[in-house]
Amino acid sequence: MLQHGPLLERLLAGEFICRITDEDAFRHLSAEQTQHEINHYLRPLNRRLVANDDNSVFFLGYHELSKDAREQLSSQFALTVQSLLPLLEWLQLVQETLGRDSALTAGDTIKLQEFVLRTEDNQSLRQRLNQLASDRFFNSQSEQLDNQVKQIFRRLKEHGYLLQPHNDRQYYIVTGKIDYLIDVIRFIRDEEHLPVDDTPTQEALI
Amino acid sequence: MAPLDSTIASNLFTIGAERLALLGKHHKALMQGYLDGFIDETAFSEAALKKLIAARILWRPDEQQALALRPLVSELIASMVADENRRQINADVAEKLEQIRNRVQAYRDAQYKGDYSVAELQLQRLTEQVHDLSGQFEEAIDSLWHRLNSDFGFVASLDDKIRENERAQKQLRRLLDGLDLLDFNELIELAEGNSHLRKLLVSQLQSQLSSHHSSLLEVQKRLVELLAKFRQQQARSLLITNMAAFLRQHPKYQPADYPNRSELPPLFNQAATIVPKAAIALDNASERQILAELVRNLPRQQGVILTETPSASFSQQWQDDVIAARQQALKTDVENFYLRVIDHGGKLSALDYLLQQQLEWDSEIWLYQIIAEYQALPVDEKQMFAIKRDEAPASSTNQLLLIRDISLSLNAQAA
Repeated sequence: MLQHGPLLERLLAGEFICRITDEDAFRHLSAEQTQHEINHYLRPLNRRLVANDDNSVFFLGYHELSKDAREQLSSQFALTVQSLLPLLEWLQLVQETLGRDSALTAGDTIKLQEFVLRTEDNQSLRQRLNQLASDRFFNSQSEQLDNQVKQIFRRLKEHGYLLQPHNDRQYYIVTGKIDYLIDVIRFIRDEEHLPVDDTPTQEALI
Repeated sequence: MAPLDSTIASNLFTIGAERLALLGKHHKALMQGYLDGFIDETAFSEAALKKLIAARILWRPDEQQALALRPLVSELIASMVADENRRQINADVAEKLEQIRNRVQAYRDAQYKGDYSVAELQLQRLTEQVHDLSGQFEEAIDSLWHRLNSDFGFVASLDDKIRENERAQKQLRRLLDGLDLLDFNELIELAEGNSHLRKLLVSQLQSQLSSHHSSLLEVQKRLVELLAKFRQQQARSLLITNMAAFLRQHPKYQPADYPNRSELPPLFNQAATIVPKAAIALDNASERQILAELVRNLPRQQGVILTETPSASFSQQWQDDVIAARQQALKTDVENFYLRVIDHGGKLSALDYLLQQQLEWDSEIWLYQIIAEYQALPVDEKQMFAIKRDEAPASSTNQLLLIRDISLSLNAQAA
């Protein structure tokens, strides 16, 4: 258990561990034996390891769902729901701004400067970014594009969706938490039978 | 080597060389034609155009249409520059097999007749055909790998990539079907009794084709994986777009209360954070050394910070709590000394008391404090005590008197 000390600390602090955030730790967590050991260790803290559907990201959940735990989960869930639209809009905005043909996935890199440059000259992108930055989730008070973008990326880093490998360099790597977000959306869609399609129409297939 | 009619051969050579030279002579204009899909006729002279058409390099597909490169020439260029948009894959094996069978027959016939020069030529042609067959697969496999490794980057959109991937998979299936047509038992039979043929048709071809076969299977696996990835990306993009649109249309949308379901979906089981904190353990003697080191390395507190205070408190001195506490203790001890004098009534030497009580004060400080205390008494109380200094000159030459001890007694008794 000693060797997993730092990892446990990160998990307890609420971090999501994926291949991007920490490859070694992720490999350890993927081993059933280690999962078992960690769960055993976490038992007195009423915590256990939880993974998303395809085991690409790990985080801690409650072992027993006490009343307090439920309350905490409810408020956590409210936050998640609140953050859905701003996050989705950000994903769309990045995809369009950088001219990518697919949505962001774990491991993609984004250069902040490139993002700013491309937004600068495009009035409609500029406006959308402006709106997004003032959303409660990102909460930017600035009118300046540069500051708005920085604030957005800072918030995403805080929430674990982005990783900044060098503090002094403005490029970011998308983490596996994005997969988690997509899983959450898919889950809600399926549960609530929302009219939200993710298979291309027949025309697109032909 | 060429026992063919030598005039035909030399004729072929001249024409071929001449026409290949034409390609080189007009390389820039022809390459531009490849890129544009038609030939800019103004770039050529009348005579040059005629020559190019006669050489079957250019053609006019239709009266109304502009001149264009012949398909075979386009294909040659596509293969040379690995242009996956235009590269063709030839999966036709049956035709090649038929040719190989015929060649083997012709070769055997010539040998039978004892016409060795013809047999030699037939063997040469046969070798070329076998290499062609292998090369055809090699070219196809190269093209497939090239497309795979570039992630189908030669088309722009994800939809196009998916279509291209599916097309590649169909080509691959045709190639595998073609490989299945090759029956090695038949080839072994064809080569029977001839070591040249056996080497060419059996050992060489077989090893080449089996390596092609495994390459093709590997490519197929990768293509299927890549297609799955493309589809996943496509699904993800659509999900993001459509869900965002839905949420925008229904700003008040609230999903069910998953956290309070009896069966909690694991995705929403995200526990509150626990940040472990630690402090120095003072009970562990073995760590004292390390702790002392740590404490020593702490940044020192800056000296006295003189804040700007109104002039009224200007004279107020900064006091160290420790010193103040010591001063208080000294004062208390001196008071106790006075109380002792009152209790006992008799004469009491200050230094004796100090020794007797085993107090830790320096004797000089002790005496000073006793005098100070005496001076601080109100006048009427002062009269109650008789203070007697035990003095002596500093030396025989120095008349300065040094106090050696003090003895205190109650005045009432002395009187």
